[in-house]
Amino acid sequence: MNLNDMIQAPGEWMRGSGPEAEIVISSRVRLARNVRGFHFITRMDEAERLACETHIRNQIQASGVALPGAYFPLHEMEAVDRKVLVERHLISKEHEDGTHPRGVAVSQDESVSIMVNEEDHIRLQVLQSGFQLQDAWKLCGKVDDQLESCLEYAFSPQLGYLTACPTNVGTGVRVSVMLHLPALVLTRHIEKVFQAVSKINLAVRGLYGEGTEASGHFYQISNQVTLGRSEIEIVNNVETVIPMIVRYEHEARQTLLAKDRKRLEDRVWRAFGMLKYAQLLPSDESMMLLSFVRMGVQLGLLKDMTLRDVNDLFVYTQPAHLQKLCGGPLEPNERDMRRARYVREKLEHLKL
Amino acid sequence: MAAMKCEADNCENEATVHLTEIRDGVKHEMHLCESCAANKGLPGKSHFTIQQLLAGIASQTQAFAQNKARRGKDLACPSCGTTLSQFQSSGRFGCPECYVAFREDVQNLVEKIHDSTQHCGKVPTRTSSDVAMQKDLRQLQVDLKKAIRHEEYEKAAAVRDKIRKLEECMAAGGLPSGADDSTLPRPISTHPGDPPTPGSSKKKGKSDA
Repeated sequence: MNLNDMIQAPGEWMRGSGPEAEIVISSRVRLARNVRGFHFITRMDEAERLACETHIRNQIQASGVALPGAYFPLHEMEAVDRKVLVERHLISKEHEDGTHPRGVAVSQDESVSIMVNEEDHIRLQVLQSGFQLQDAWKLCGKVDDQLESCLEYAFSPQLGYLTACPTNVGTGVRVSVMLHLPALVLTRHIEKVFQAVSKINLAVRGLYGEGTEASGHFYQISNQVTLGRSEIEIVNNVETVIPMIVRYEHEARQTLLAKDRKRLEDRVWRAFGMLKYAQLLPSDESMMLLSFVRMGVQLGLLKDMTLRDVNDLFVYTQPAHLQKLCGGPLEPNERDMRRARYVREKLEHLKL
Repeated sequence: MAAMKCEADNCENEATVHLTEIRDGVKHEMHLCESCAANKGLPGKSHFTIQQLLAGIASQTQAFAQNKARRGKDLACPSCGTTLSQFQSSGRFGCPECYVAFREDVQNLVEKIHDSTQHCGKVPTRTSSDVAMQKDLRQLQVDLKKAIRHEEYEKAAAVRDKIRKLEECMAAGGLPSGADDSTLPRPISTHPGDPPTPGSSKKKGKSDA
C-alpha cells in the first residue's frame, strides 16, 4: 500500500455510512501507550528515538496488527504526503510537524492507525464511519492486546498506563465523536451544547483535534478524564451524550425549515451555486459552502447528491489532497483555482 | 477570507497563532505561524491545554513552590534527570520513573485533573502480577495503621519502608513477585545516548522474579 494508491479512495471513516451518519461523521477511540525501557519522547536524543521507533515498528510487524497494511516513516516523507495523512485523520498535526524518527502504521481500510513516537511512544487509534463507539472500542482493545503481546508497556497499578502528559494517564483513552452541527450554529444554540457538554467533563474541539478551529461546522466531542474510570465507562459516558446532541441538531434543522424555509433553501442553494460556478475557492470558504450543501442533502433539498458525494468533496478539496490530485505543489492562489475547478467538475453532471 | 501570512521575517507560512497585547493602553497584535511563535518562546496552539491547565490550578502552582521551598532544592528524577521545574513549564514528564520521583507533587495534580488517583481500567496481562502487589500493598497499609495505633514505631518504620519500596516498584511498572525486600524498580537507561535493550527486557519480563 502506498500513498498514491491510498489517495484514490477515501478511507473507511469517510464513507458517509454507519449509524447516524447524517450528523455523526465518525467515531474514534485512541489509546496512549509507552514502552518500558525508553524515556518519553521529549527526553530522548536522536539515537534513542530511532531505537524506539525501530523497536516498535518491528514489534508492530511481529504482532501482525499492521498486516495487511502499511508503515509510513514520516521523517523520510515529503511534507505534502505527511499532510495527506493529517487530512485523512490518520496522524495528528503534532505528529506531522517535526523531523525526528517517527511513523505510522495504517491498516488497509485505514480504520486502524498506530502512531509511533508521537507525544507518547504509541498512539493507537480506531476510526470508524458514523456513530459506532462500541465497535471502535472493541477493535481498539483487541489491537492493543495484540500489540501488548509483543511490547512491554509502562504501567503502574495505581496510575495505570503511564503517559508523557498527566492528562492522559490511567486508561490513556481518548474517545471522540465528530459531529456536523450547522443548524445549531445557525440557530445560535451551539454555545448551550458546549456548556452542557463541559459540565459533564467532556471537551469540544475543532476538525483536526486538539488546538484546531472548528471549520465547516464540524465539532469533536471527547472525554477529558482518563483515570478513575474504566475504558468502557468512558466510552459509555461519551456515547450517552451524543444522541441528545444529534436530536438537538435535527430539531434545529426542522425549526429552521418550519420558521423560514425560504431562507434555509436560499442558503443551501446559494452555497451550491457558488460551488458549482466559483472560479476561486479558498479552503475555508469551500468548507463552509460544503457544510450547507451537506445539510441540504440531508434535508432532501438537493436530491441528486448523496452524503458520500459531499464527504468526498470535503476530503479532496483539502490542500494536501488537492495538491496530490494535481500532481505537485501549488501556490495558494493556484490552489484556490484548482479547487474551484475540481469542485465544478464534480458537480457538473448533477441534475438538480 | 484569505489566509493571513506569518509576520516573522522570511516566513511564508500561514499565521495560526494570533496574539493581542495591551501595552500602556495601546493594542498590539501579532500574527505568527506555529514554529515562529515557538521560536519566540510563545506557546503554540498544541501546547495550550496543559499549560492553561497547570496555570489554572493556582493551588497546584503554590503547592509546587511550597514543596520546593521545604526541600530547599529542585527535585530531579534520578532516572532521566528531568526536574520538577522543567515538568512545571512543559507539562511533560521525561520518563515513566518521573511519576515515582515526583509522586508527592504529582498525586495532587493528577487528582485535580481526573478527580481520582486510582486506575480502574484495563491491566496489561504482562503485569497482571502487579495486581497481587497491590493487594500486598493494601495489607501493608493496614499493618502500618495498626502498628501506629499500638505505638509500635520501630515496626511501623519497617512497614513504611516496605510500602515505599513496593510503591516505587509498582509505579515503575512493577516486577512480577511478592512484596519482599528484593522488589526494586528495574533501572531505566540513564544515558540518553545509550539505547536500552528492549529485546532483552522483554525476555526478562517474567523470568527474573
